[in-house]
Amino acid sequence: MVSGSEIEMFLEREPKFDDIMCSLQATSKQPKGIIKETKKVVALARKFNDEVVRPYSLELDKTVQEDPEFLAWDFVKKANEWGFYTLWIPKIFGGKGYCMSSMSFFVEEIASACLGMANLIGVHYLGVATLSATWNARLINKLSRETVEGERKGNPCLISLAITEPGAGTDVEEVDLVDKGDVTCYAEKVDGGYVVNGRKVFISNGHLSTWHILIAYSDLKNPSENTVVLAVKNGTKGFSFGRKERKMGQKGCPASELIFEDCFIPEENVCIDPDQYGTLSRSAKETAMQVIDYVVSGTRAGVGAFGTGVARGAFEEALKFALETEVKGKLLINHEWAQTMLAEMYKNVAVSRLAYAETNYANGMYGFYKTLQWKPTYYYTRCLPRFIADKVISPWLDKPRATSLMRKMSLDGQTDSEIHRTSGWASLAKFVGTDAGVKNCQMALEIMGQAGLRHDRRAEKCLRDSKLLQIYEGTNQLNRLNLFKCLIGRSYPQVAVFQE
Amino acid sequence: MIASMNAELKPFEDLAAQFAAKELSSKREEHDAYPFGPFFGDVLDKAYEIGLLGITLPEELGGIGRGIGALSVILESICRVDASLGGIIFATTVAQQIILESGSTKVLASVTKNAGNAGDFLIAFPAFNNPSEIPHLIYARKEKSKYILFGELEYVVLGGIAGHCLIPAQVRGERGYSFFLVDLSDKNITRSEPVLSLGLHACPAVDTKFNDVEGILVGKEGDGNLSFEKTADRMHVAAAAMSAGIMKGSFDEALAYSRERFQGGREIVNWSEVRMILSNMAVTINVSEMALRQACRAAEENEAGWEQNALASAIYIQGAACDLTTDGIQLLGGYGYMKDYGQEKRFRDAKHVQALLGMVPMKRLKYIERVIDGVDR
Repeated sequence: MVSGSEIEMFLEREPKFDDIMCSLQATSKQPKGIIKETKKVVALARKFNDEVVRPYSLELDKTVQEDPEFLAWDFVKKANEWGFYTLWIPKIFGGKGYCMSSMSFFVEEIASACLGMANLIGVHYLGVATLSATWNARLINKLSRETVEGERKGNPCLISLAITEPGAGTDVEEVDLVDKGDVTCYAEKVDGGYVVNGRKVFISNGHLSTWHILIAYSDLKNPSENTVVLAVKNGTKGFSFGRKERKMGQKGCPASELIFEDCFIPEENVCIDPDQYGTLSRSAKETAMQVIDYVVSGTRAGVGAFGTGVARGAFEEALKFALETEVKGKLLINHEWAQTMLAEMYKNVAVSRLAYAETNYANGMYGFYKTLQWKPTYYYTRCLPRFIADKVISPWLDKPRATSLMRKMSLDGQTDSEIHRTSGWASLAKFVGTDAGVKNCQMALEIMGQAGLRHDRRAEKCLRDSKLLQIYEGTNQLNRLNLFKCLIGRSYPQVAVFQE
Repeated sequence: MIASMNAELKPFEDLAAQFAAKELSSKREEHDAYPFGPFFGDVLDKAYEIGLLGITLPEELGGIGRGIGALSVILESICRVDASLGGIIFATTVAQQIILESGSTKVLASVTKNAGNAGDFLIAFPAFNNPSEIPHLIYARKEKSKYILFGELEYVVLGGIAGHCLIPAQVRGERGYSFFLVDLSDKNITRSEPVLSLGLHACPAVDTKFNDVEGILVGKEGDGNLSFEKTADRMHVAAAAMSAGIMKGSFDEALAYSRERFQGGREIVNWSEVRMILSNMAVTINVSEMALRQACRAAEENEAGWEQNALASAIYIQGAACDLTTDGIQLLGGYGYMKDYGQEKRFRDAKHVQALLGMVPMKRLKYIERVIDGVDR
């Protein structure tokens, strides 16, 4: 009927089978424990929504409208008490080690009640992800354990990512653009470390974070080959906070300006730099892009989940309104057109969820958490006694050999096809989920009419919150181009992306 | 420009544009801020002095006696800068027109001719509802020759700053509803603080409670819906003009920013994807302008089917404005989401304006209902 070589040949045709059926292939390969863990974190998120998020979300939004300088420390402390900032830090780094894929489902839940608060939790893992994508075992271990300690002492220790600059947003997310971009955050190599000058803007959770993973450049004329990733702690001389942006929505989560003036960062806080790229098989430019792709493959799926969550929140508000409101003499829910609109909104949620779940499967099979979701590693880490992680593994992680091994496995060990698959799917999940988020919010307001305009009915807040999702973590335009580059254009030699 | 259809409208367009540039532009952010300030304060008084609060009101009643065309060009020009003042003009004009449609000219004259300032002149109105679509929470009982109102009414636009209010209420035992004019200084009316809402922050709305308040019947008992629908038919054009103005403001800012902002080494206006988005915006505005001009002309000249033109224009243009202002933010990236620019406000205002005169799906159903019933010409 069809020979083995034919099967291989036909499945390599576009669309490649490996690109389109990540979930099918993951079914037998991923540990069953993931299901149990995911159910647990979803239940946990629902409990947290009932007890903390819903009672406070409108008040927080209103408070920041009144006082843009307000910082949601109370909420961050509460999330810290509930253990959310270490829930997805692997056990070997001192965290609780829940499977990474469960985070998307968790943030969808929180975002369905308040997108700003979902950011206050989820954006911490953007910092963690960036640090992790440098595969610097010592620094991952150090910062993770500070976060764990902060949880134990009731002093939240969040990590932010500082990448966007006043003159460069999209440019800093693509190495093909950054050399032409207007980047100004300069990290000058000096004895014992780097001296940084420059500004970063729109840094989510900046003012609330203790550590900041800073993307800077040691040569501003050729940044793509000179990307430096640094860990900067609050209190470092030469580092200060600037303004908090006055945003339309997601008001609970500050967007901060970070200012670096002759800020010395010692070598021990260098996550990765051009000297270290030299030890890897890919070029410095390719490695910088790979690090970015590792980050965004995970975090764009998370933003897709944010979009799914706000789409669901809008749907739930519209449904509640339709169930209790009479229009033209009968309940709105019994108007056929309203039922159809609600079904469309439900579909938007379901399709968005499928998109980020598929990306999770891709990341579990070929990307960020491939090693962690490999069955032997997965079950070994679940059985690992805490004292062994702390007393035996942790000291080993501080040795250069640990970083070298992790980079060998994760950076050199990842194929170009795997990078394309995970990055392409993450972009798809991002713009599917976030476009659905905005669309559902608009539909909710149409269904609710006058009531939808009011702050106290939540739907208008959902709309304001949702719009940012189409912008951050790469605009949806950039993500469409990235999908094209990763899953379409790569097969055609005549294609040039970002070269117009 | 709507004014291109009729040279007589050009002075009104210029007047409104100059007024907006002088009085609204520099204070857009201040007027939009929460906690709410004194709203437009002196701006409203100036608008009142030059007749912007009585554009379609006959001159003998204190207005400037112009038609829907003049109202539309003025609203478009004002909303291009700040839609909140447009919302105020719209709400009070709807109230004035309902009273005129009801034939209660004397009742209206008692408000407008005796007004000493903008607040006295304004008539509050729940402009984001079609009263026939929702259950009535305000009731009226007749006591001899007087009507006594009681119940609660949400989201009365201008309820916190106007001297009077036009209220839809159901007379006990009667079908349908009627309109009543109420003096808002009545102590038996409780008004909330201005309701925090999505957009039009300087066009405040309040929740109200009526505890046996005397109301003056406007028109005949039970004729409220007739007056509302006749007024709404014409005012849909004005609502569409507001959205058109918001769209133009969004496009202006997006184009200007695209020429200045660099990405990948050149102005973003030179990237074809950006041009595609700008083109979609420009085409939408062009088509909306054509629809609006036709709707204005048809309404002014009472052409057959003008009501359907008006409604279709409103449905199309208001929806288009919501999509266009989303792109308007997108082209500014993160900056578009911040209060430093006007794009996020236009995004909110566009969605807010879409809800004027009732729920969007009900407007769509009304349109097709008229086609099916053969009212369409």
